[in-house]
Amino acid sequence: MATKEELLEKMKNGVVEYDEEAVKEAAQQALDDGYVPLEMIMDGLAAGMEVVGELYDRNEYFVPEVLMCADALYAGLGILRPHVPKQEGGLNAQVVIGSIQGDVHDIGKNLVKMMFDVAGWEVHDLGRDVPLEKFVEEQMRTDSEVVAMSAMMTTTMLGMKKVIKMIKDKNPNVAIMLGGAPVTKDVANLFGADGYAESAGNAVSEGIKMIGRLREMQGKK
Amino acid sequence: MAELTPKERVMRMFRKEPVDMMPFFSGMGMVLMPAIKELGYQFPKVHTNAEMMAKSAIASSRMFGFDSVVVPYDMTCESEAIGNTISLYEDSMDILYPTIPEKMWKSMDEVQIPKNIMELGRMPLVVEALKICKKEAPELALGAWTLGPFTMSGQLLELDILLKGVFKQKAKVEETLDKITDMIIKVGQAYQAAGADFITLREMGTGTDLISPRTWKDMIQPRMRKILAAWKSPKVLHICGATNLIIEMMADCGADAVSVDIKNCLNESREKIGNDNLLLGNFDVFALPCKAETTVEEAVAGIKQNIDGTVDAVWPGCDLWPDIKEENMRAIVKTAREYGSKPSPAVGRL
Repeated sequence: MATKEELLEKMKNGVVEYDEEAVKEAAQQALDDGYVPLEMIMDGLAAGMEVVGELYDRNEYFVPEVLMCADALYAGLGILRPHVPKQEGGLNAQVVIGSIQGDVHDIGKNLVKMMFDVAGWEVHDLGRDVPLEKFVEEQMRTDSEVVAMSAMMTTTMLGMKKVIKMIKDKNPNVAIMLGGAPVTKDVANLFGADGYAESAGNAVSEGIKMIGRLREMQGKK
Repeated sequence: MAELTPKERVMRMFRKEPVDMMPFFSGMGMVLMPAIKELGYQFPKVHTNAEMMAKSAIASSRMFGFDSVVVPYDMTCESEAIGNTISLYEDSMDILYPTIPEKMWKSMDEVQIPKNIMELGRMPLVVEALKICKKEAPELALGAWTLGPFTMSGQLLELDILLKGVFKQKAKVEETLDKITDMIIKVGQAYQAAGADFITLREMGTGTDLISPRTWKDMIQPRMRKILAAWKSPKVLHICGATNLIIEMMADCGADAVSVDIKNCLNESREKIGNDNLLLGNFDVFALPCKAETTVEEAVAGIKQNIDGTVDAVWPGCDLWPDIKEENMRAIVKTAREYGSKPSPAVGRL
């Protein structure tokens, strides 16, 4: 029987080296051996993704590598997540996420979504090319705490401003995250958003940092 | 000496001959709402009518004194010609460019480019628009553009298939890129035959915030070279996002000029490519001409900074966002001309 540390290491390395099979094997073994699934997710899968974020920041990994690492992470998550008891699943929070109308790209959006999936949030993924009102309707329907929007092009970015206003008018407490290539901190502030990530890659890096913070919180519980 | 016409200015710049003042132009979309409104058009309509496309392009350039006129405006022409359906967002109140919401090809195996691509979809319409521009605005440098093969693949397939394929299915990715490369050569040649004075190859999605310099050298550069070798000069290579790590390779693809966006540090690029290469770019198309809070003075300062970055022409980092503030746009062009009265690194002054 492998020790917990060995399995965590195997999962972490499997994510970094985008080895889906190794991650799946370790995740299944962790379940079979009775280790706590949430711990395996946070200290194995998410820890691996943190390393991926560092490699990306250092220009050692690029988006193709990160996408493959994300696949490996999801392979493990698919095995472990169903075994995490609801109340233990982290924050029990909800997020509405999507790429804004006029934008059919969703790589960045999907990487940010991964961060919420890892953290155990309930994710309402509206997909891409999402009409502005749909974000507002979905937030109201689900009473989600966070709305995350992505735009890949300047030409679609301006729609975000309208969505933020519509949502904040109805419910000022909703936190809004913006992401996408043309979105800068300046733009996010100007539009009244609460957070931002400036590119698909930056979404990776920012998202991973958030995973890190969630892991710290988890550790303190 | 008499002032050059806009076209003479641009063509001389491409040949690195002295010009009368700093060129202000683009090889990417530069249609603007004030021109569309003056013509009584609606934004979603200008993409599907050759005359509206040409007239709105000409009116935009003449209204603000640009040196070039550029068509088409959107990146879905080839994908639509191959058989995909475009969204025009005719019911939206916002300015939205056409997109391909669903791609018919689900894997690289399905990629099959029709031989008669130039007869399909809106391709004849773009050719017609070029011809109208040529006839109606002979004083302007006529620009056309196409996407590069990697970026174009994102209009034909889900981009993550290619991105992951870079490692997992390299031969298949190369084969797909080759098919698209041949199509792009054909499209560019047709645009040049229709009268385009210069052409821009926009391999936008290959900056180093997406793929590595090694992948760029291995998979992108050979195809840039092949396409550019098949087109007549002048020709420009443009890449968005982070490009400082690949700028030397960009300058070594056979283009007459390289173009970069706001994420590029111009001075560093100039140092790397030397004073003999034309460097175009890279003003912020949202912050300077559009953002409600940007004053005319701030827009002017932004363009001066752009020129101090050693560009050979003031040229936007991307398509101009159509909803500009007129006073900012006019100040931007005026500043380019006045502050750019001195020679640039690769181009002297008359």
